[in-house]
Amino acid sequence: MTYGKPLPKIYSDAREFREGCLEHELRIQKCGGCGHLRWPPAFLCPRCLSRDTQWVRASGRGTVYSYAVYHVAFDPAFKEDLPYVVALVALEEGPHLLTNLVGCDPGAVSCDMAVEVVWDDVTESVSLPRFRPAAG
Amino acid sequence: MLEAGLCSYVMISYGQSGRSGDSMMQVLAALSGDDIVYGHFGAAGGYALAARRAMHEFRTGPETWKQIAVGQRKWANLNPRAMMCGRAMTGEDYDRSALVVEPFRLADNCLVTDGGRACIVTTLERARDLRHPPVVLMGLGMHHPSADLAGARYLAGPTGARRAGATALRMAGITLDDVDACEIYDCFTYTVEITLQDYGFFGPGEGEDWFRGGTIEPGGRMPVNTSGGQLSESYQMGLTPLTEGVMQLMGRCGERQLGPATGNRTPEIILCSDNGGILQSHACCILGRG
Repeated sequence: MTYGKPLPKIYSDAREFREGCLEHELRIQKCGGCGHLRWPPAFLCPRCLSRDTQWVRASGRGTVYSYAVYHVAFDPAFKEDLPYVVALVALEEGPHLLTNLVGCDPGAVSCDMAVEVVWDDVTESVSLPRFRPAAG
Repeated sequence: MLEAGLCSYVMISYGQSGRSGDSMMQVLAALSGDDIVYGHFGAAGGYALAARRAMHEFRTGPETWKQIAVGQRKWANLNPRAMMCGRAMTGEDYDRSALVVEPFRLADNCLVTDGGRACIVTTLERARDLRHPPVVLMGLGMHHPSADLAGARYLAGPTGARRAGATALRMAGITLDDVDACEIYDCFTYTVEITLQDYGFFGPGEGEDWFRGGTIEPGGRMPVNTSGGQLSESYQMGLTPLTEGVMQLMGRCGERQLGPATGNRTPEIILCSDNGGILQSHACCILGRG
């Protein structure tokens, strides 16, 4: 069955991130100047403006900073998922990532709950990081 | 520009066909970027994230927001131009309103409307010579804390309203005690709460008590969004609050005109707010009777 939902746009700042996703690695940027770990990707550091950028692998663990439960499908492709959870996950490295929370009842989600990444290979060339309640 | 003599009049205008056309959907789609991959769309989802974090950090939620939605509807019912004029809303109506993006119900969301607004700015000297009583810009403040939602750590406040409000009050040379009414950008009920909270009308989590008893309604001690606002009158971006503040001070608001008829003080000073993105930019504007 073909994947009917929107796919991420390919833009140069995020290429390393998207390639990491295909290998099921969550990659974020680290400033070579001041060490600041950041998301979303950018060509310079928002703290010190250095262009010296490295990519590092994040652990894939974090906590729910906030979440929203969708009861309306603004794109019909999401209708089958209602109600579904969009979350801002605070990665343990610091940056926040907008993603989905899966594998749990929307009513059981709470802010600051521990979560871990789970990979969703939606097409041959796109894998999306979603999160589920952390094991144990 | 006016003081430098580069121009004589400036018109601030806005218009949209959000309801009959799809202009608002296009704006919101452009804002969403790659977030749509995760089914995250437009403004309701972003503000729902902000409101949920606020519920985690201090006492707030539907019991607070209900008082905002119901209170503003009472003003709309006095405003024949309001989309929701003639449609009452009780607390039970709010509770029965459909969930859209939790924690928000439909009644927490602003309207999508057709329409337009404009106001004209000129020098006070020139304005005093015109047919209608002038309104004076006493103070202005802006603060824009972030361009990126994922990077935001202030979704439960303090938002840009904290610094923008303090700057505007200082420029106007007044305190909140001098404010007779507020016209607050109200894309969602929570936006009204966090804005008033960050201005300093009440502390974090005190909103539910502050709003209780009809504080913002006709006859209340601090009227808020006296046209019905974006929740119940019409969504015209920042011009919904701004033009209502101007019209109230000019005394041109008919049945909803603040004064003896509504059981409120006749206003001398009105505080207006504007807000952009997901609480990412903020402007505060203090208007006075000219």
